[in-house]
Amino acid sequence: MAASSSLDELIEALRCLPGVGPKSAQRMAYHLLQRDRRGAERLAQSLSGALERLRHCARCNNFSEDEVCSRCLSSRRDVTQLCVVEMPIDLNSMEQTHAFQGLYYVLMGRLSPLDGIGPRELAFERLLNRATDGLVKEVILATNFTNEGEATAHYLSELLSARGLKVSRMARGLPVGGELEFSDAITVAQAFIERRDYS
Amino acid sequence: MSQKLRVDGQTAFLLHSYPYSETSLIADVFSRDYGRLPLLARGARRPKSALRGLLIGFQPLELGWFGAGEVKTLAKAEWLGGIPLLAGRCLLLGYYLNELLISLLAREDAHPILFDSYVSALQALAHGAEDAPELRKFEVRLLRELGYGLRLETDAQTGSDIDATRRYLYQVERGPVPQVGAGDTAIDASVTGKTLLDMRADDYSDPVTRRESRRIMRQLISHHLGGRPLQSRRVYMELQGM
Ligand SMILES: [Zn+2]
Repeated sequence: MAASSSLDELIEALRCLPGVGPKSAQRMAYHLLQRDRRGAERLAQSLSGALERLRHCARCNNFSEDEVCSRCLSSRRDVTQLCVVEMPIDLNSMEQTHAFQGLYYVLMGRLSPLDGIGPRELAFERLLNRATDGLVKEVILATNFTNEGEATAHYLSELLSARGLKVSRMARGLPVGGELEFSDAITVAQAFIERRDYS
Repeated sequence: MSQKLRVDGQTAFLLHSYPYSETSLIADVFSRDYGRLPLLARGARRPKSALRGLLIGFQPLELGWFGAGEVKTLAKAEWLGGIPLLAGRCLLLGYYLNELLISLLAREDAHPILFDSYVSALQALAHGAEDAPELRKFEVRLLRELGYGLRLETDAQTGSDIDATRRYLYQVERGPVPQVGAGDTAIDASVTGKTLLDMRADDYSDPVTRRESRRIMRQLISHHLGGRPLQSRRVYMELQGM
């Protein structure tokens, strides 16, 4: 009874992972217990370690082991530019470009009214406090080009501009090397609407 | 005999979507001839999926699906275009329309008139009309189409025609009844006959009509939602208040 209940507990716990239903949770549990006990131990330890040590950086809101993460403390970053992204993975994408030397703020989400995610859930106040530290001059909004990302960017731009900050939005359009013939219609249409002067 | 339904070339809008598995999602769509229904979009969450950038709200899509169960499988999707992407505050108003449809529309009930009214409302919002009469027109159409008995023609007490010069109290389950005496005109249910007639005629040029119609529609909708608060309204109010 006790053995089977901790198995059930494990299966139930695995179901919290995105896209994992009862079937795959069961498969994972048997795999961990039967075929890869060392892997399971490592998973258990790293999970509880991460839970224990990781928190949100007081400045960028990304996961960090310290009160303030090393990127936010780095003297090589430009403190006058702050780039707002939805998720840590978006920050990684930006970093891979080597195009941006400023600092980041990670929202950990986006406005999604139909899911009940509003400014309170996203702690907009925290971002506003961060952006008005007196050093930041420009905020670059790099939320996704979905309806939710656009709504987020719109409201943030209003709130940040009202606080005297320069606000810019990532440009959208055809991908580099993109040909009209092979691009999706909605992207081409929007690139056309948002065309810029050629001077 | 199992009915393997196959539908093609339906104009539809995505109202909302929910992750279904690591790679698939359920799209809650509103189609012109089949009403609101959930479609399983296989692979739509894969990074390279053609559906990924296509299943976007407030944009007219041409969809095809098949299946006999409650959740059909999306077979085809194409972007139709013709409505600019919503921007800014209008996006939040768009979410409000979607939440009304999600909350009040039963599944697979066709409402072509309401669908056309939704398209007009989106067109207005896409062109930046912020507090468009289109929203009110849509709300009126919604309650009428769903059979909530929105009464704008006759007085519920006497059955006589609405008099533009009188004041009425709009009672949620009944309709307008004459407001007696001087009455308090500031209470939410109090409207002039003219407002009711204007709403019936889709005429929102009068600021009094705009104000009063907004007030009674809010009450009626909240009543039909059974007091359940609308998330989109809460988020909207919070954002406006910042
Ligand atoms: Zn940091």
